[in-house]
Amino acid sequence: MSSASPQVKRFTAVHRLWHLGLICIFMTMSVTGLAWMYVETPWGYWLAGLFGGYKATLEIHRIAGLVLLAGFAAHILYLILRIDWKNFPKSLLGPKTLVFQLVDIKGFFQHLLWIFGLGKKPRFDRWSWWEKFDYWAVWWGFMIVGVTGLILYNPVLSSDYIPGWLLNVALWVHRIEAAMAMAHIFSIHFYLEHFRPHSFPYNASMFDGVVPLDKAREEHAEWIARLEREGRLEEMMGKEPPVPMRILYFIGGYAVIGLGLFLLVFALMNAAALTLF
Amino acid sequence: MLVRIFIFLLAVLLPAADASAQMASAEGEAASSGYFRDQDTLPGSYRLYQQQPKELDWLWAVGPEKKKPRRASFLKDSHSEVRDYSPRTRCTDCHREKTKDLHQIRMGITCVQCHRDEPIAGVHHYYSAMNPIRRHAYVCAKCHEGATPSFASYVVHEPNPLVMDTEEDFPLLFYGVWIMLILAGGVFAFFLPYVGLWSLRELIGKATKGGGDE
Repeated sequence: MSSASPQVKRFTAVHRLWHLGLICIFMTMSVTGLAWMYVETPWGYWLAGLFGGYKATLEIHRIAGLVLLAGFAAHILYLILRIDWKNFPKSLLGPKTLVFQLVDIKGFFQHLLWIFGLGKKPRFDRWSWWEKFDYWAVWWGFMIVGVTGLILYNPVLSSDYIPGWLLNVALWVHRIEAAMAMAHIFSIHFYLEHFRPHSFPYNASMFDGVVPLDKAREEHAEWIARLEREGRLEEMMGKEPPVPMRILYFIGGYAVIGLGLFLLVFALMNAAALTLF
Repeated sequence: MLVRIFIFLLAVLLPAADASAQMASAEGEAASSGYFRDQDTLPGSYRLYQQQPKELDWLWAVGPEKKKPRRASFLKDSHSEVRDYSPRTRCTDCHREKTKDLHQIRMGITCVQCHRDEPIAGVHHYYSAMNPIRRHAYVCAKCHEGATPSFASYVVHEPNPLVMDTEEDFPLLFYGVWIMLILAGGVFAFFLPYVGLWSLRELIGKATKGGGDE
């Protein structure tokens, strides 16, 4: 949080808006989804009570799900509009896109070798392999949770098009994928982005859009080197947000992290009390 | 003689014509309001009332109920052959494995709300409310308005998806759950140690003031 070093622009306003929207909807769905899943336990019952009971909780979960799917559709539309169709499919490749490429596989193994002290630290460009994984994991999660969620949204209607017993399968797949997504975000994602030595105590770049230049050089060395080669580093330099905004980002971000950890810990603590089979 | 042949043909052909008309009617009705229809409550071919596209027929190969139904499930009083049975016995005293479903756990639905009162008929008994030909209308629709026979094929007392028996009883549930668990387990089995080692490497890099570059 404290840094007087020069800042480089990493995320655009649109990127940050997508992420903020995703945080709001994902956390809403996590709280309401866990409240419904754990409603047989005192913790789940209490959680559902915050929303006015299980019926209201489920209704909020369903509405949030529709908003999430609408947002996902809007994101796909945004991508379609952003693609350089003249140079398609070549435009999908290169260091600026989030599409997985051979360089990411190479980057992964270089990173692995560095972890074991067997090689130099890899020089990642704008996106590292784990950042691309985080981005595409949301897609994979939405596909699975979205399709099963839609099936479960109105089971009577769904069973007009699929056998009713597919609802049994859909419910299990929905639960496991959602649990995996929450556990991944609340542990791996939060830890990687905020708690590992490189990022500790807080990485606000997804909120303020900028990252300290020295940190960027450390983790995305090739990106900064490329900007310097192209003579674009100067135009990519940004300003650190004013202190009140930084405080707001810090408090807001830690509130979300706190909520996520609360859900993760209590879900694990109450897991034994769930009647699953 | 000719009259006898005519009557015989009439007797053979008329039910067939009736059945085909009923089938055509059922197909037409499938797209209607979703409320109960006369034919939903009449005995007949269960398959006739499956309101789903024929393209999904292959799915039934991986669906539930592969096992032959138990004989008692066809009886008017399914407990008639159970020694020492008393209507005062709690259902859960014997059917303990049937208590772990979402209907009971989350909604507090009791056994007799679906299986009806004494004598409790077997689920395949001809006049049972639980018979698949009318289960959707007599049981499911009490809470799920507009329930269809397809909807009623939801397995309320679903088997434990993790045990090998389920591979036979409900293959799609077994494989679907196991694939998802392997996927989830794989993600954490990879990331947790990876992230731990990564943090350790960063700490070592900071401690040696080399920034971990080498």
